[in-house]
Amino acid sequence: MTYNLKNIFSKSYLGKPVYSAALAFFRIVFGLMIFGGIVRFWLKGWIEELYIQPKFFFHYYGFEFIQPLGSYTYALFIVCGLSALMFALGLFYRIAALLLFLSFTYIELLDKTNYLNHYYFVSLVLFLMMWLPAHVNFSIDAWRKPSILKRQIPLWTVGSIRLMLGIVYCYAGLAKLNSDWLLEAMPLRLWLPAKNDMPIIGSLFNEVWVAYLFSWFGAIYDLTIAFFLLNKKTRPFAYVTVIVFHVMTSLLFPIGMFPYIMILATLIFFDSKSIDALFSGMKQRFSQLPIAASNTAFGFAPRSQKFLTVLFVCFFSFQLVFPWRYLLHKGELFWTEEGYRFSWRVMLMEKMGYAQFVVKDAATGKTVAVNNNDFLTKNQEKMMATQADFMLQYAHMLRDYFRQQGMKEPEVRATVYVTLNGRRSRLFADTTVNLAKEYDSFRNKNWILAYSDKIYGL
Amino acid sequence: MKKLLLAFGMITVLFPACTKKDNGNNDNNDLNRKNMLSNYAENYVIPAYANMLGKLTELKTKTESFTATPNEANLDALQQSWREAYTIWQRTEMLEFDPAEDASLRMYMNIYPVSVTKVNSNIASGTYNLEAFGSTDVQGFPALDFLLNGLAATNADIVGFYITDPLAQNRKKYLQDVVNKMVEKTQTVNNAWASYKTTFTDRTGTDVNSSLSKMVNAYVLYYERYLRSGKIGLPAGAMTGNALPQLTEAYYTPSLSNELAKTALNAVSNFYEGKSYDGATDGAGIKDYLASIGTMDKDKLMSDIISDEMNEAITALNNLNTPIKEAVVNNRPAVLGLYDQLQDVVPLLKVDMVSAFGISITYVDNDGD
Repeated sequence: MTYNLKNIFSKSYLGKPVYSAALAFFRIVFGLMIFGGIVRFWLKGWIEELYIQPKFFFHYYGFEFIQPLGSYTYALFIVCGLSALMFALGLFYRIAALLLFLSFTYIELLDKTNYLNHYYFVSLVLFLMMWLPAHVNFSIDAWRKPSILKRQIPLWTVGSIRLMLGIVYCYAGLAKLNSDWLLEAMPLRLWLPAKNDMPIIGSLFNEVWVAYLFSWFGAIYDLTIAFFLLNKKTRPFAYVTVIVFHVMTSLLFPIGMFPYIMILATLIFFDSKSIDALFSGMKQRFSQLPIAASNTAFGFAPRSQKFLTVLFVCFFSFQLVFPWRYLLHKGELFWTEEGYRFSWRVMLMEKMGYAQFVVKDAATGKTVAVNNNDFLTKNQEKMMATQADFMLQYAHMLRDYFRQQGMKEPEVRATVYVTLNGRRSRLFADTTVNLAKEYDSFRNKNWILAYSDKIYGL
Repeated sequence: MKKLLLAFGMITVLFPACTKKDNGNNDNNDLNRKNMLSNYAENYVIPAYANMLGKLTELKTKTESFTATPNEANLDALQQSWREAYTIWQRTEMLEFDPAEDASLRMYMNIYPVSVTKVNSNIASGTYNLEAFGSTDVQGFPALDFLLNGLAATNADIVGFYITDPLAQNRKKYLQDVVNKMVEKTQTVNNAWASYKTTFTDRTGTDVNSSLSKMVNAYVLYYERYLRSGKIGLPAGAMTGNALPQLTEAYYTPSLSNELAKTALNAVSNFYEGKSYDGATDGAGIKDYLASIGTMDKDKLMSDIISDEMNEAITALNNLNTPIKEAVVNNRPAVLGLYDQLQDVVPLLKVDMVSAFGISITYVDNDGD
């Protein structure tokens, strides 16, 4: 098979039938992973800790209408968990997928403190899945209504999930092509020694060359793995690498479910025929299972085909372009983080800050030094102390709070020190600027001080 | 596959170029957290509580003598013992992690300013509970400061409060109770450490519940909140613009305040260096650990930069010749200068050091900012 662009984007290629078992299998695995993630979240007490206890939530710009639900947050998680199960089982699939997408995304939008690239990834995949016929094989819907059973679906359905994964990996790899990662082995050089008490291999983490090896391997892995997974010959080797790589990251870093999600999600790269064979095997043993056996193909109605083409082209164009928005901002990306999120920059920097806010009533001169612990959780404080948009929201909250407390004209100023990838901490924001009067937007925040070091690369 | 080979080729070519830069790195022994934790437990923490307990036991004896026979000589001896114990406490207070944290030791030892109103009402009523929530400002060294130094201008008059005053009996009992509580709490922590040591040195990770994380967080919190702010920043009104001399540590013994601050700052510096409690030996400390990680600024190790900044703060504090309580009013610029020196260390410890250590602050998932 030759991959040339003209072929790949041709109707006949994208519409080529593949086995629906691949997408159904992905649906089951993905739904169960999300369900597991929700249960894990609940058992760890994080619903309470992250979404009920905080007195203040950091909204995403443009999503200020997403409000915390108090103790109803549990209900939201129940909806999310149940819809994940329904999604996996293929029970009322379209409704389940929609509910799951909405509830999951709502949770993630509640507080940007908890932003994780993989949550964003899950939301995006769920968005795609809402439109795809993932329930036409091995689903309760098909058991209830066998007429929807179809053994084949168009290639682009499975292909769009592969493309999404490919974008995640490639962009994560591109983001690693910078001087700190490649030439200084930062931040792994700081993170690895912190794990030197691991059994057997721990002492290796004290060696600087290991940090370089991991950095380079990580970058090459991210950049190439999708292609090695696409290629039939390299696929088995590539998948072993996927497992080793993600198990390693899960041992080293507190990244939760992400490694396992990736290990299972990348199964979508396998030949749909092999998964169909697996399904057929099960069908032979248990003939009652709602598994498509006869060669029937799923076809979209012409109108929805047209609609989906436009939708998916827009979606992927956005995905390809949005991570580059940082180029429109001046200043060092890692320092300002303007255009940093939603761009697959994962485990890319070690950043820590210290932010002392002072509120002064311009009318009376009365001044109060703010203890962040009075308003924010530890995690919120950590995120706030390095990210400008958090600082602004916090400053506005302080302004409103102290106004309520009787101050006439509260002015909010901050002394913020930030260290980035082991460099000495320096002042982050102009200490003379009254943040109560600054507003968030997509424009540059002029009160962020320029970074004197340059990090080269993407 | 070709790509992979090419890439590995690039690594081997680039490696020598990169590794040249790594001065200061890789004294692997200093990266051994177990060694470091053992040094702190055996050579600092355990001797610190033993010594503290010794001083407090002495204080207790002197208190018993004074309450049995209130006179100027006994008061003198008790005041002297209080000064010594308070000074020693300055080398102990930063250790508020694990057993001391469990016992909330600081709450029973050194929350100031003391609430004179509450102390007097406790004495008058004779009923009080030193364990109760909201009792932190009626006990510990600050309450003793008031009871031993703050009741009157002269020792002769102070003794009067324990003999002729209608509440003399109650006051003696209160004095004794406060001292007993301090001994009791310190005893608890001291005993706990004997069995706790192994747990402490075995928790070698860098997660939120690791010993390094707990120790460093307690240390940095102490430096920022109780040393920088408590001893200098709040009385000077560094952030608010209004001096509040009544917030000074050892308010009723102004001659002692500066001494306490100096002892505390020196203790912070010695602890950073990994020195033993008696100062005789220099073991594996957080400074050495930081040096091995090797973060730098302009070819200078961050670990050395922190030492330098601490030393500058020590010099600035030594240069302050008037008692803090007076200086914050009469010589505020000098105190604010000192505050700035102390402040310069805060981001270095709280941000630069903690970041280089890779310590987590919570258990929540994180994909690296």
